[in-house]
Amino acid sequence: MDPETTNVIEVKCLTVRYPKPGLKQVFVTAVNQLALAVHHGEVFGFLGPNGAGKTTTMNVLLGFVPPTSGTASLFGIDVRQPIARQRIGYLPELTYYYKFLTAEELLRFYAKIFGLSRAETDQRIAKLIKLVGLEHASKRPIKSYSKGMQQRVGLAQALINNPDLLILDEPTSGLDPLGRMKVREIIQRLKDEGKTVFFSSHELGEVEAICDRVAIVHEGQLKAVGTVAEISAGHANLERAFLEVVGYQSTCQP
Amino acid sequence: MNKIVALAGVVIKELYRRKDFYVLFVLTALLTVAAGMVNFFNDDKIIRIVKDVCLMLIWVSALIIAIVTTARQIPAEREARTLFPLLAKPVSRGQVLAGKFLGCWLATGVALVVFYFFFAIITGSREHIWPWAVYFQAMWLQWFMLAIVIAMVLLGSLYFAAPSSTSTISFILVVGMLGLGSHLNTLALQQPEPMQSLLAGIYFAMPHLEWFDLRDFVVYDQKLIAWPAFALATVYAVVWTGIFLLLAWFGFRRKNLST
Amino acid sequence: MKTSPWIALVSLLALAFTVATSLSSRADIWSKRSKSNNFFGVIFGDGRKLFANQFFTMADVYFHSGYYPSIFDKNSAEQKEIISASHGAKETEEDEKKEDFLGQPKDWIDAFGRHFRLTEHVHLEQGNEREMLPWLRLAADLDPQKIETYTVGAFFLREHLGKTNEAEAFLREGFHNNPENSELLFELGRLYQDSADVTRARNVWELGVKKFLALDDAGKKENKLVFDQLAVNLGRLEDAAGNFDQAIKWLRAAQSVSPVPGELQIQIDAIQKKLAAPASVPATK
Ligand SMILES: Nc1ncnc2c1ncn2[C@@H]1O[C@H](COP(=O)(O)OP(=O)(O)OP(=O)(O)O)[C@@H](O)[C@H]1O
Ligand SMILES: [Mg+2]
Repeated sequence: MDPETTNVIEVKCLTVRYPKPGLKQVFVTAVNQLALAVHHGEVFGFLGPNGAGKTTTMNVLLGFVPPTSGTASLFGIDVRQPIARQRIGYLPELTYYYKFLTAEELLRFYAKIFGLSRAETDQRIAKLIKLVGLEHASKRPIKSYSKGMQQRVGLAQALINNPDLLILDEPTSGLDPLGRMKVREIIQRLKDEGKTVFFSSHELGEVEAICDRVAIVHEGQLKAVGTVAEISAGHANLERAFLEVVGYQSTCQP
Repeated sequence: MNKIVALAGVVIKELYRRKDFYVLFVLTALLTVAAGMVNFFNDDKIIRIVKDVCLMLIWVSALIIAIVTTARQIPAEREARTLFPLLAKPVSRGQVLAGKFLGCWLATGVALVVFYFFFAIITGSREHIWPWAVYFQAMWLQWFMLAIVIAMVLLGSLYFAAPSSTSTISFILVVGMLGLGSHLNTLALQQPEPMQSLLAGIYFAMPHLEWFDLRDFVVYDQKLIAWPAFALATVYAVVWTGIFLLLAWFGFRRKNLST
Repeated sequence: MKTSPWIALVSLLALAFTVATSLSSRADIWSKRSKSNNFFGVIFGDGRKLFANQFFTMADVYFHSGYYPSIFDKNSAEQKEIISASHGAKETEEDEKKEDFLGQPKDWIDAFGRHFRLTEHVHLEQGNEREMLPWLRLAADLDPQKIETYTVGAFFLREHLGKTNEAEAFLREGFHNNPENSELLFELGRLYQDSADVTRARNVWELGVKKFLALDDAGKKENKLVFDQLAVNLGRLEDAAGNFDQAIKWLRAAQSVSPVPGELQIQIDAIQKKLAAPASVPATK
């Protein structure tokens, strides 16, 4: 298979149902018949209101949640095989990294998981710590970090293996404007290096600025997919288009 | 294997950066020294009760360290959601379990060495004998017993909601096994029928942790147990540890991690 | 910093234990103030008797260097070895040593498990008896009314460890806590007799007799054997001191309760002969 022509992410007819807590027979459908393809080298924005099923879709891609039905693959390999995750970097939402480790120790640990050599590890850690702007805090235990600093650690660990595909779940949440700018820069740079980035976000301005294509999901279903220009055609901007797609009606209008 | 070692390293770092171990060690040391300082009939050669108290505390402390550390591993990974970035890396769930097990076991082993070293110093300073081989046997078997316990707790921690309930249940279970293990067959004979078969069944099916308790040998007569029996017991512990780890792996392999 | 509940629990228990051990020596002073309600009494209430019995048993366990039946083993109720040993009954000690409560292994688990438990019946000796002392001390602190603790403790202190002073103090402590008990006075008298302090031995034994009779009069059923021992020993003491009349008086008294009055009669006869002899020599002349 030619990596240039296979879709990096391919989701077909994906449905995920969660059992409702306490009730065995009642299910919440988090993702409903979702089909998605992310091409090599593109920055793909995954949009949707809260509870739309974005995190759930990513959980399937990473093998944490088995699909109720449908399939998903990374680089053409079914996500149920661990090898599918060899070339990806993942930034989960709301993660509290091992608080008794320092940022440097944490990155060193993840580097070992990837089997990186010592020299390579040292070099990458130095680079990443600088990239996410944690030079002053890299030797402090993570428990002393602010939320935004933790998010930066998360970003650094997602990049430790120099991945070909990045899956980022709300990468800019909790970051200050400087941090957001930095994330944007990082994404842009990865794109320039020919990497693929798949990320979810609620920051439509940011999505507009850096994404090649976006998908909008609502209640587990794909509502729109295309380039930013295609989706915002006929609307003032992407935000307007998004609101229309998810069926927003202002309660303030007469 | 490197991945497992890396995972274990995190557990060990966690243990020595938390205060649990130091608290338990200081307590053990203080109580032992206190017991050694009590004057019984102006006899300053009395030592066995000091040994008894110290070993008892070592056993309780080691059990607490092993159980509490193990019980929180997987739940903490899930709660802090670190399991997700971890499993998003090329590491299998089995390797995660193995790493957690190894980390907890090695960490308890280090703790045991510190404890027994203290014990040897205290008793040696009074008795002027250093039966290292006896201490080694006692420590080694205790360590392997803890391997069974850790594997068991790891299995339990996949199913019980809170680490504290896993800890409590495991603690009661282990103490029960240690206390009743060798007597269940006798006890069974005194029971009416359905109970009798049940107890006898448990007796034959359970891991006999009480074998691994050589405290009496250390306290009383410093005799060594036969090395072949020692080796067999070690194998026995390895087998039981394997059984529990396999069960844990079966449970963890297919677990839906977001629920 | 998250501290687990276990650590809190253990620290509390440990603290209680430290305080208890460090205060136990002071507990006697307190007990003087509040008679039977000593330190442990206040803490544990009546449950302390249970602990005291357990500790007394622990002394026995130590005496056997850990070779001891647990509550699950069949013959445990019959184990009263420390007592027989404490009264120097060498035969029973030997018999008892041959006993094997473990029996044949019941199954392979039991058989293999034998490797990991003590299976040799031994008794402490050569001064190692001292290792039991802490348990007896604790038993006495927990249940000052348990007479056995004092008698057994004093026996080992005196006979095996050569600690006569400590034995005397222990018995006195027991007597202080049990002022009506004549058995303790009997043991105390033996101690004095061994150190050739005839006067004190006599005084203590006579006091013992007095206490016994007082209780007997009050209708309290006491162990007649104690009276037997007191009277016989007093008799022998007076005999040795040359007070033959007194000696005969005591032996006669002993006859009333002794299981072997005939034996005593022989001794009485012997003394009477001695009594008659010096007087009869001038009479026949
Ligand atoms: N573990 C779970 N058990 C039951 N239901 C769940 C579980 N996780 C998610 N859900 C449900 O699935 C649906 C999709 O949730 P998901 O987390 O994928 O949303 P999201 O798009 O990531 O939202 P957000 O923007 O808030 O992060 C929601 O209705 C949620 O309630
Ligand atoms: Mg989400």
